[in-house]
Amino acid sequence: MTTIAITGPGSAADGLPVAPRALAFTARAAVPWLYLAPVLLILAVWVYLPLIEAFQLSFYKWNMLPTAPKTFVGLENYQRLMTLPDMRRALWNTLFYILGLLPLSVVLPLAVAILTQDLAGPLRNVYRTLIFLPMIVAPVVAAILWRWLLNEDHGLVNHALSGLGFDKIGFLIDRDYALGTLVWITGWKLIGFSTLLFSAANAGINRSYVEAARMDGASAWQIIRDIRLPLLSPTILLITMMTILFGAQWSFVYINVLTNGGPLKSTTNVFFLLWEYGFETLAAGLSSAAGMIVFTGFALIAFICLKLMRRYSFHDN
Amino acid sequence: MTIDIEAARAAAPARPFDVRRLSRKAALHGTMILLSLVAVLPIYWMVATSLRPANDIFSSSLWPSAPSPENYRLVLESLPMFRMLANTVVMAAATAALQVLTGLLAAYALTRWRFRFSGTVHALIALSWLVPFQVTMIPNYVLATRLGLLDTLTGLVVPNAAAAFAVLILYNAMKSFPREVIEAARMDGAKHWRILWEIVTPNLRAAIASLAVLAFISAWNEYFWPLLLSRKIENSVVQIGLQMFMAQEGNLWGALMAAATLASLPILVIYLILQRQVIESFMKSGLK
Repeated sequence: MTTIAITGPGSAADGLPVAPRALAFTARAAVPWLYLAPVLLILAVWVYLPLIEAFQLSFYKWNMLPTAPKTFVGLENYQRLMTLPDMRRALWNTLFYILGLLPLSVVLPLAVAILTQDLAGPLRNVYRTLIFLPMIVAPVVAAILWRWLLNEDHGLVNHALSGLGFDKIGFLIDRDYALGTLVWITGWKLIGFSTLLFSAANAGINRSYVEAARMDGASAWQIIRDIRLPLLSPTILLITMMTILFGAQWSFVYINVLTNGGPLKSTTNVFFLLWEYGFETLAAGLSSAAGMIVFTGFALIAFICLKLMRRYSFHDN
Repeated sequence: MTIDIEAARAAAPARPFDVRRLSRKAALHGTMILLSLVAVLPIYWMVATSLRPANDIFSSSLWPSAPSPENYRLVLESLPMFRMLANTVVMAAATAALQVLTGLLAAYALTRWRFRFSGTVHALIALSWLVPFQVTMIPNYVLATRLGLLDTLTGLVVPNAAAAFAVLILYNAMKSFPREVIEAARMDGAKHWRILWEIVTPNLRAAIASLAVLAFISAWNEYFWPLLLSRKIENSVVQIGLQMFMAQEGNLWGALMAAATLASLPILVIYLILQRQVIESFMKSGLK
């Protein structure tokens, strides 16, 4: 269909009435590229070229001052990363962020979506509007309001805890709680949004499957396990993949605003480490080397995830 | 058969003492009410605290005993709040407009023509969301410095003037646009430029609107890039203003909550007016 339009009589109207054939041909071939130019230019200048530059920088030592020279150090940055404990700890913490987020972004929303599928009536929209709200709240605002709610001496949560007879908890200053607290704040924004995604997918399931199974005497749990979950698998895998790929990035703001990686580095993840190396210790080479490891790692994970999604998603044809 | 069962179930009068049914209903609503509270209470508490006078700030009563604008006055005195809000509106509106514009052009090229490397281009655009910003931030920062973009709104907008998800959303919308209409216009001698702006774009209004809302909110909430570029508070956006205010006056809880409320107000108003569209556009675009 497209080719018809390109070679059809209409294409003479492309603005080149009497140009020689060859020239007209190249000009016509250039047209799509003109339309694509703005997007490609911006992505090239601000994403792909910087990616290449970061790759180059990872072999240099440089303190980011424009006047300071860059010295070539080969693989030294990578070797240092392997020996410094920072990177290992940051990688472990990254894993904890992701594993901690999955219950909040997948398990709980999925359970709620299935549990509340029969919900009807005017209240349904009210709930929708309310539970989605955290998603549009700015991360900085979320950080600030949770900092207040979780304040050790005067926060609402600790008020409630001491009212119930528990000890107060230093959510953001106790190293045993800080990481979990940041996971919760990151997840707080996602719960309602994920629930709505699962609800929409669940509502899209053809009712006749469920009715047929019910007539065959399937129990409620069997219906969920053998019909709903397989049919929801594309959405489950999608949200799981998003959480794995971006979960640690979403928590960056909270680390930066609330804990600065502490206490005792307990909340540092790889994305915060990149920032710390780059803009706090001004070790551009080290930051870039760590960046390359992170990028390669997540690109690999994305590739595997997409493969898995293609293989294990169950589609209702 | 299915219909019969459904009809029978609907027709069956609910017995007044159907305990199982009632408790199931209660459990449903209980779950949703709990979830709603988890979502809304923190935001409500922010607004409530912002209205408490200093002597009432640590109270845990649900509503301030004597609401006062004191905290807001303090914020407006110590922060160039309106200036920052205006900066943010300009930045977010420009980002959204440019993402729609560049997205329309690219999506038109990708749906309209089959050309060499179009598959590669498509992949390059889609894969750009896989590159974490923290990985490219140093070269980006160096480039922005060299171009004199530090501490400017232009610097905040330009790198975000194109977005993969904008191209992909518009690409999907355009793909379902009826080809016959375009072919007919071509037969009438219309040029591509005119077809895009006078035929395709007006018909994609819904997709464009939802994309624009999404891009506006994302840009409004953007934190990391402004953090790198900002120098003076009066040239920065509200997110940075908030962060600076917290760093300086971290324990003035009332004022901090007032500042956070002011920074969220425009987004909350948009949400109240367009909630259905906002929810749908977020759901369509996935999580990033």
